[in-house]
Amino acid sequence: MKTKKPLPLLTVLVYLFVIAGTLVIAFPLYITFVTAFKTLDESARSFFSLPSGLYLGNFAAVVSDEYFRNYIANSIGVTAGAVGIIAVFIPMVSYAISRNMQRSRYYRFLYIYFILGVFVPFQVFMVPLTQMMTKFGLLSQVGLVLCYVAFGLCEGVFLYVGYLKSIPLEIEEAATIDGCNTVQTFFKIVYPISKPMTATVIILDTLWVWNDFLLPVLMLNRSPKNWTLPLYQYNFKSAHMFRYNLAFAAFLFSIVPMILLYAFLQRYIIEGLTAGAVKT
Amino acid sequence: MTEKSLTHFFFTAPAVLLYTLLLVIPVFQGVYYSMTDWSGLSKNIKFIGLANYAKIFSDKRVLHAFGFTFKYSLLLLVCVLSLATVLALILHYVLKGRSKTFFRSIFFFPAVLSLIVVGMTWNEILFRVVPAIGQALGIEWLSVNILGSPATAMYGILLIHIWQGTAIPFVLILAGLQNIPTDLYEAAIIDGASPFQTFRKITVPFLLPTFNVAFVMVLKAGLMVFDYIRATTSGGPARATESVGILIYDLSYDSLKMSYALAISMVVLLVIIVITFVQMKASSKVEVGQL
Repeated sequence: MKTKKPLPLLTVLVYLFVIAGTLVIAFPLYITFVTAFKTLDESARSFFSLPSGLYLGNFAAVVSDEYFRNYIANSIGVTAGAVGIIAVFIPMVSYAISRNMQRSRYYRFLYIYFILGVFVPFQVFMVPLTQMMTKFGLLSQVGLVLCYVAFGLCEGVFLYVGYLKSIPLEIEEAATIDGCNTVQTFFKIVYPISKPMTATVIILDTLWVWNDFLLPVLMLNRSPKNWTLPLYQYNFKSAHMFRYNLAFAAFLFSIVPMILLYAFLQRYIIEGLTAGAVKT
Repeated sequence: MTEKSLTHFFFTAPAVLLYTLLLVIPVFQGVYYSMTDWSGLSKNIKFIGLANYAKIFSDKRVLHAFGFTFKYSLLLLVCVLSLATVLALILHYVLKGRSKTFFRSIFFFPAVLSLIVVGMTWNEILFRVVPAIGQALGIEWLSVNILGSPATAMYGILLIHIWQGTAIPFVLILAGLQNIPTDLYEAAIIDGASPFQTFRKITVPFLLPTFNVAFVMVLKAGLMVFDYIRATTSGGPARATESVGILIYDLSYDSLKMSYALAISMVVLLVIIVITFVQMKASSKVEVGQL
């Protein structure tokens, strides 16, 4: 298959196809950008033209929201908290599982136990979970972080155990002979070697937590003070959709950080994502 | 117990505890509540066996939601998987070097955005921008908001879902293609295999495990579709786009029929398990190695 060169005509068609695809992906982003910088009047005249000037009134209005700082702080706080714990938890659990799976039934069971969660739709336990969190007084950012840590285990353990299997045991045995105890062996040897997989888990879970909607709706809905960005953005739907330029400005606050993150980390994001699901 | 096994046990203990408490126990509570008459608020809970489950099959609203969801998931699977496969094949076999990496980055980008923001952005675009294009060009079917009519709203939501949902299956399939050992192709060519034969005998079986992962992901996304509908039609107009995910949410929190909503969610779980199982079984005959 690789020996034959594709026909020039085919190459041209393929380029036309992928360029068309690129335009389809760029289109809503372009509209979001230009609309956020226009006044309502200007948008009404033409949606597609570039803004005549840098009108920042929409952003000013978004930022002047009483709790806007809370939304940003909550989103960052929840994401950092959840992903920070996940980045230590998943490697520890996966390490214990991968090093004992061969000979212990308990760890084989744990592996399956965590992975089965992937198949369970959230709606199946959404109601009992919120009831339980209400009872514990955990309808808060702390409760939300705990949920992400728990639910992140399913995919995380699957990816991480797969990775750890490829790390030779000799390194750890050498460390033990040199006098490291198990905790030291893990944190000084195994954890640093596994940096690529830790990065994958961090990236995937950052995207998930930062963008998540339903769980924050259930856990943080009591007061706008507690909202994360997706809740604030959703609120535009009911509250003031007639000022849609504002909404687009608010969307940009969630899209731009992701574009920046993606611009710098896209290689790691894509390769990290495929590392676990596709094995050589 | 040695120091090592004790430490390993303590490495897992907090995670097991948290996972059991926040996921496993609620699932079993859900199973229990689905067999009661619990509204979500009342203190008296009566065990009623499978009555909620029996009710599902004569409830027109629920049957409609299931019908919508199955149709939606089927269309989503077909569109997303074929588009993702075509894109991956094109990038793998035709584009090389920089242009390959560039277009891979472009086509993956939608996956990093929030579903709710993507849904709301498209909602505005389909409501305001696309009809404006249609009017300017004098094309009638483009001049209306496709999310506004019961007959077409589903396709509007599908469009949004495909725009974002193709990204991850696409990079998975592309990575799967890249992982096929090239010497197999060389050997096949030496043995005189036609391109079609190499595709059928090498590419397809090697790609199948990856394809299965993508299949299960898209299936779950389709069967549980929630965010996009919430961001656009909220299930309307006239309940035309009420998916099972939306229905469960509304029954739980707006209509206070929690036990009934839970019974419906168990049916969805069962559907996911059965389809995944059947699909894994069917493909295990052709695939190479195991996942």
